[in-house]
Amino acid sequence: MHLPRFQYQEPGSLAEALALLAENQGRCKVIAGGTDLLVALKQRRHLPKYLVSLDKLVPLKGIREIDSVVTIGALTTMAELIAAPLIQDKLPGLVQAAREVGSPLHRSLATIGGNLCLDTRCRFYNQSSFWRSARPTCCKMGGKVCHVTNKQNACFATYAGDLAPLLIALRASVKLASSRGERVLPLDRFYTDNGRHPNQAQDTEILTEIQMPAPAGGVTGTYKKYRERAAIDFPVVGVAVALQMDQPTGTCRDLKIVITGAGSRPVEASLAAQKLLGQELRSELIAEAATTAAKEIRPVKTSHITPRFKRQITSLLVEETIKELGGIDR
Amino acid sequence: MKKLIKLTVNGIQREIEVEPRQTLLEVLREDLGLTGAKKGCNQGECGACTVLLDGQAVSSCLVLAVRAHGKTVLTAEGLATDGQLHALQQAFIAHGAVQCGFCTSGMLLSAKALLDRNPHLTTREIEESIDGNICRCTGYVKIIEAISAVAQNKNS
Repeated sequence: MHLPRFQYQEPGSLAEALALLAENQGRCKVIAGGTDLLVALKQRRHLPKYLVSLDKLVPLKGIREIDSVVTIGALTTMAELIAAPLIQDKLPGLVQAAREVGSPLHRSLATIGGNLCLDTRCRFYNQSSFWRSARPTCCKMGGKVCHVTNKQNACFATYAGDLAPLLIALRASVKLASSRGERVLPLDRFYTDNGRHPNQAQDTEILTEIQMPAPAGGVTGTYKKYRERAAIDFPVVGVAVALQMDQPTGTCRDLKIVITGAGSRPVEASLAAQKLLGQELRSELIAEAATTAAKEIRPVKTSHITPRFKRQITSLLVEETIKELGGIDR
Repeated sequence: MKKLIKLTVNGIQREIEVEPRQTLLEVLREDLGLTGAKKGCNQGECGACTVLLDGQAVSSCLVLAVRAHGKTVLTAEGLATDGQLHALQQAFIAHGAVQCGFCTSGMLLSAKALLDRNPHLTTREIEESIDGNICRCTGYVKIIEAISAVAQNKNS
């Protein structure tokens, strides 16, 4: 499959790139690493007139920490993230999560901004145009019906990014720039829960950086992923947990559990977290919270994996992750 | 509209006109006649099209050729120097790490990218380095043995 025809634009500055997007609203696609977008183009899921490359926007690269706020440029690749001393030191969980993205061949190209803007996935959508043409156009492609649920005008495609869960658990924000200015959104609010338009970024906007507080006061976080082929696949389900313990009392002061692969956005299991807040972490209590987390997700059969299986795996992963971070033996 | 790109392929400076929609893989195979990088899935899943772009292993089917402007590309054809096979190629032959051969060029380049960066490799790191290269014949054992042998030789 060849790529469709498009005009390639390589703006030299962010302002130039944003002007291009504003002038040609709805006819552009922004390309950073391209690992997700090129496949989508080959499958004719998008047919942009212009492909706007961010390659020349050097200021969008790099990682820095100022006043206990870690800022990561959107064009930082997974490989750069994994190798960055600052991230290894302050956010080892993020290194772990980045290592779970695709294979080394993807990680050398794929960027953190692209990963957060990852499109939702579905067995009726991630297919060639020939394959898709056998059915009426689905909702995700702009049609009326969802082939998974048979509902009208609703898309249930699954969000399966690996970095968003941990970054949400660590209270990260994203900065979106457009020709009219910038806005900063908590990453949690960046996602819409609408399979068709998974995030808030408009056609005229570019995600420029990710900011988060450098974990302090013993906050730890990690990400665990279950997938079919350990080497390369998207998650069946992935679970990120950020945990802060109250040291003298040994109770849980702060806990966030965020699950990917389980809905049209990263899902926060807040009822499960509430069960453990202020409590001493014990095996039985953690198991109970894990069962609750599995009930908080609403997986839809957008792949050959059944929702029931996703719930079972979620429960296991939540239990395992909290035990690991809390240092609790099985 | 075609674009003129300049890049170094296997040590040779090239200037070539490409369509923006051509991938690096297509340009290497169809315009430069370098068929060492294979077109497998063409979706970045199989690793048969692996090349080194500025020393980093990438799936060349996921790289637009225009993005390779000013960069250095190494394909399997560039591994041997002065008629002498690269240590990895010799080890692959010695360990019988090749069956049908379709994945081999990608395996070699993924392994080279890792060895160049870190010559002290554990078996786990070797396994991870070829995570993105799918082989349907060998079961990977002999490939990992071949790469280990080269890593050990470098260390001693």
